Amino acid sequence: MNEDAGKNRKSYIPDAQNIEPMNIEMLLLIALASVTVLSTLGVLLSKDNFYAAMYMSCTLVMVAAIYAFFSLGPVFILLVFVFVGAIGMVTVAIATTYRHEPKRQFSVLWLVPVLLTAAILGYSLYAYMSSAPAQVQMAEYPIKFSIENFITPEYMLLFLALTSLVVLLMLSVISIYRSES
Amino acid sequence: MPAIDLITVIILYATSLAILLVGYLTAISSEDIIRLLIALELMFGAVFMSLIPLFSLCANVSFAIAILTIFTSGGELLVLIAAIVIQDRRKKDISTSSITIGGDNV
Repeated sequence: MNEDAGKNRKSYIPDAQNIEPMNIEMLLLIALASVTVLSTLGVLLSKDNFYAAMYMSCTLVMVAAIYAFFSLGPVFILLVFVFVGAIGMVTVAIATTYRHEPKRQFSVLWLVPVLLTAAILGYSLYAYMSSAPAQVQMAEYPIKFSIENFITPEYMLLFLALTSLVVLLMLSVISIYRSES
Repeated sequence: MPAIDLITVIILYATSLAILLVGYLTAISSEDIIRLLIALELMFGAVFMSLIPLFSLCANVSFAIAILTIFTSGGELLVLIAAIVIQDRRKKDISTSSITIGGDNV
């Protein structure tokens, strides 16, 4: 019994020969993720709302670029056109319109619990990675997505329902805005 | 096409977590409503980032969740942008300290 358990434990230890060197795709992903995090920090540290909105748009474009990295073209288009193209630019326009004297909006006191949370979650990720079986570490799951498979009546109904709800929301917002003015 | 493995998942989730935590910190520290709007968009960016590994398991459902998130965030940001404009019209001030609920400053 114990010998069997010992054999099973041995099979979970990663073999040094099986560990592949970091390939160019992984390096590109790490570079994209690093630029994303740096532009997010730009939002936090910039004093002017205009530049914060520009950094935010940059962050969302980088998130969309990571989708493109995984060959998820439709989501990339949705993110770039809807998020960055529409909402991001409206935010930039609003930040430019209501421009006032820039001042730093960064609370050092709140940084402590945020760093504590990051440390706890980082440790749990590290613990999971070090305890994950070797088979799980080596396993690769390819992304198989095509927009043709998505166009089914169920998903079209979802899309139409969501579009109707957003139109209703826009009408109610216009109504509130008119009643205010 | 790059496949999803454990290292990729960890990179994606760590990045998503970093964006989310910076979004939280920006929202907590914000002194005007526009910065709050920017922080909310960052948080939605983190949600999109964390969706990527799900595409390797069930792609259609993940795409549906992505569309749902885009509509949700679009609607929510539309309301917030209208609220900013109305707040400015009423009080000529968009700082978070000017927002009151039941007479108390938020």
